[in-house]
Amino acid sequence: MTTTLEHTQQAATEGGGLARKQNFVTALIGGVVFAWLAWFLAHHFLDASSRNYSDLVTTALTFGWMFGFWLGIGALNGPARWLIGADHTRADDLYYAGENQGRARYWKYCTDHKVVGVQYIVMTAVLLGAGGILAMAIRTELIVPGNHFVNQQVYNGFVAVHGMLMILALIVAVAGPWANFVVPIMCGARDMAFPRLNALSLWTLVSAAGLLLSVLAVGSLTMGWVVLAPIADQAGVGMDFFAMAIIVFTVSTTVAGINTICTVMTMRTKGMTLARLPIFVWASMIAAALGLYAFPFFSLVEAQTLLDRTVSTSFFVADGGGTGWLQANLFWLMGHPEVYVILLPAVGALFEIASVMSRKPVFSYRTAIAGMTGLAGLSILVWAHHMFTTGWAPTLGGPFMLTTELISIPTGLFFLVIIGTIWRGNIWMKLPTVWLFGFIFNFIIAGITGIYLSDIPIDNQFHGTVFVTAHFHYVFVGSVLFGALAALCFWYPKVTGRFLDETMGRISFWLVFLGVQVTFLSMFVAGFKGMPRRYSSYSMIFEHANFVSTMGAYMIMSGMLVLLGAVVRSWNHGVPSGPNPWQANSLEWLVPTPPPLENFDVLPVITEDPYNYQEELVRA
Amino acid sequence: MAMTPKKEKLTGMYISIFLLTVLGVVIGVYGPAHLMPRSMSDNMHLSILTIVVFSVAAAPVAAGVYAVCLHALRHWVHRGDSVPAPAASQTREHPLAVTSWVLASTALTVFLLIWGLGALSVDNGGIGRNPLVVDVTGQQWLWTFSYPGTNVQSPTLVLPEGRTVVFHIKALDVTHGFWIANMGVQVDANVGTITEIHTTPTALGTFDVRCTQFCGLNHAFMVTTGNVVSKQQFSQWLASQSMKA
Repeated sequence: MTTTLEHTQQAATEGGGLARKQNFVTALIGGVVFAWLAWFLAHHFLDASSRNYSDLVTTALTFGWMFGFWLGIGALNGPARWLIGADHTRADDLYYAGENQGRARYWKYCTDHKVVGVQYIVMTAVLLGAGGILAMAIRTELIVPGNHFVNQQVYNGFVAVHGMLMILALIVAVAGPWANFVVPIMCGARDMAFPRLNALSLWTLVSAAGLLLSVLAVGSLTMGWVVLAPIADQAGVGMDFFAMAIIVFTVSTTVAGINTICTVMTMRTKGMTLARLPIFVWASMIAAALGLYAFPFFSLVEAQTLLDRTVSTSFFVADGGGTGWLQANLFWLMGHPEVYVILLPAVGALFEIASVMSRKPVFSYRTAIAGMTGLAGLSILVWAHHMFTTGWAPTLGGPFMLTTELISIPTGLFFLVIIGTIWRGNIWMKLPTVWLFGFIFNFIIAGITGIYLSDIPIDNQFHGTVFVTAHFHYVFVGSVLFGALAALCFWYPKVTGRFLDETMGRISFWLVFLGVQVTFLSMFVAGFKGMPRRYSSYSMIFEHANFVSTMGAYMIMSGMLVLLGAVVRSWNHGVPSGPNPWQANSLEWLVPTPPPLENFDVLPVITEDPYNYQEELVRA
Repeated sequence: MAMTPKKEKLTGMYISIFLLTVLGVVIGVYGPAHLMPRSMSDNMHLSILTIVVFSVAAAPVAAGVYAVCLHALRHWVHRGDSVPAPAASQTREHPLAVTSWVLASTALTVFLLIWGLGALSVDNGGIGRNPLVVDVTGQQWLWTFSYPGTNVQSPTLVLPEGRTVVFHIKALDVTHGFWIANMGVQVDANVGTITEIHTTPTALGTFDVRCTQFCGLNHAFMVTTGNVVSKQQFSQWLASQSMKA
């Protein structure tokens, strides 16, 4: 204890006093000040009569916001000190890891992977909450035909921003909290391979989310979350905010992905061979690798869009020889792998949960890895199924139909692994298990409706209808969110030392589970009947389905609010869980709760994989 | 692994697989056909048939997974606050199960693929002699249909029964989605490019044309109706519209 105190005192006297006061508030101040400064300069020096004027000024403003935010949070301190030859000392590193700073470190540029994990939980909750409020507004508008809860323009904006927020929320929902909090401990590492980059990935995400949330305030973006040309050309400055937010977001995911892969590849403790890694580590690593492939397309397409808007290039402008199809291709080259970047960590967590809760090893570990790798590999070859009805390259329909339908083979392996794991297990019915069963139920529906859509003759009927919306909500809400909530319930005791309230958790499960069925099954009905997506109003034939769907949406929202209540309440008042409430064998459960800074006093030596529950019986 | 678990009877599970499969097949056969718009073309017939076939093929898979879960929830769960004992069976690998699962899912996928590619080639099948050509123009937020060779321009789409129609589709401002909800055909209307689809109306009556690509403020109202009439009525209609124009 004395040594750590010495560290802090020594460090405090070493200067950098200002740098140590930096937190979320200084970041916001920095962001706003520099945004204003950039806006002022651009406004002053640019020709206001130019047709790109407003986009240029807005882009300058967003650059200012980003730079100011990063400066304010302290993201640039490390590189700056390295540049002037005064790199961080050990004391500085411990300071940035949040040593002895209590709860204040959660508001800071903290390099401790466990702090970053918790920050990601909060970030996910904020994004899900904001997206969820918009979802409720959308469903309320659609409760009866011709409703005027919000006006059409506002409604269209809500649809677009809801989509973007939820996609971002789900990309980070499992990988953010848990690939940060538990993966390094699972590997037997003291932290991530690049702790500062880890903090960078979190705070770049926060700065991007700030831009994304401001889209609604700067005249919104009413073009659907994909915002493809030529309709995107009609967008206001909200488009510039969105494009910049995405570019920065991809920086965040790239940095996080590299960090995860490097941690797993280089930081494993002695004896932790690849074949002994917990399956969740594999899932995180495969998802991270897939993200490294996919997200550069996203920043590319948004950078080109920005260039089209600010300096009049014509990548996607038909008048200048460009084409919206180029943009659509680039977008979906990202868009489909992204679905599995979202899905894989959730599935990996569920494998882990199925094993621990059934008191049985993961069934056919190699099949699980093969399934995940196969899915990741195939996913980069299927993008054009999003474009079956665009008229782009009809002759490629057959080949893309083939690759898309092959996806059902690795996906089927996930079911095999989960079913094989719970088969004749002693399944402990606690919150994580409940969400696991909910996931299985929903993922079957998601999968089967996905097979319909992969078939071109059927897609010619369903494309662009709410059938598609219902399908991907079964994927994202029914499957990914359920996996994320299972993971939350499972690892919550490790973060807080307390169980998530079982009763409130069960209530929220039933509300969300039944709500999902009511909302999205009736959306399938509307889709079968032929209701197109992104409709702000509809004819009488879709009346009942939409009313029921809205009721279901309210159920989901109430369930999520109950869950939020449980998370907040149990954080300080839950039933104490001890360090290893599920009697699991992977390393994160064998360290104290909460895990100390740098996790291990002595790095453990691993002799077998964590799925040997028989041994544990002998030990006990 | 000294102790061999006593094999429990799984009869109940097999019965649920059977019952759930039957349920799935019934839903698959009657559900979509009951809910979907009235079929008015061979493409729509094929779409509905394909949905039915896929549903029937998927029913046993879904039934199997659901039945195992139901069985697990009835027989294999442990309630309470204490950690359950390790499961009697600690199976890590079962090559026969994995191999048969992979073979079965591959066989099913190959079947769906062959069916799908077959259906696709029927969908794209020959246009035949003497098709009717209709030029479709989408703009924010209305559709215009013109009939080349005549001076007819119409906000509603009138088609003759039993004659193949080729649509040449373009957009003036942003991308729209041209979709005849009763005929199972859709393609985007793009700026600067002409896309083409064809279908053969097989039933008389009215149908809806809806926009399926988000196209701005009034996307939800970019709807028009159409009418399939007999060949004779169609000629009369063209002539009368021609006179007006």
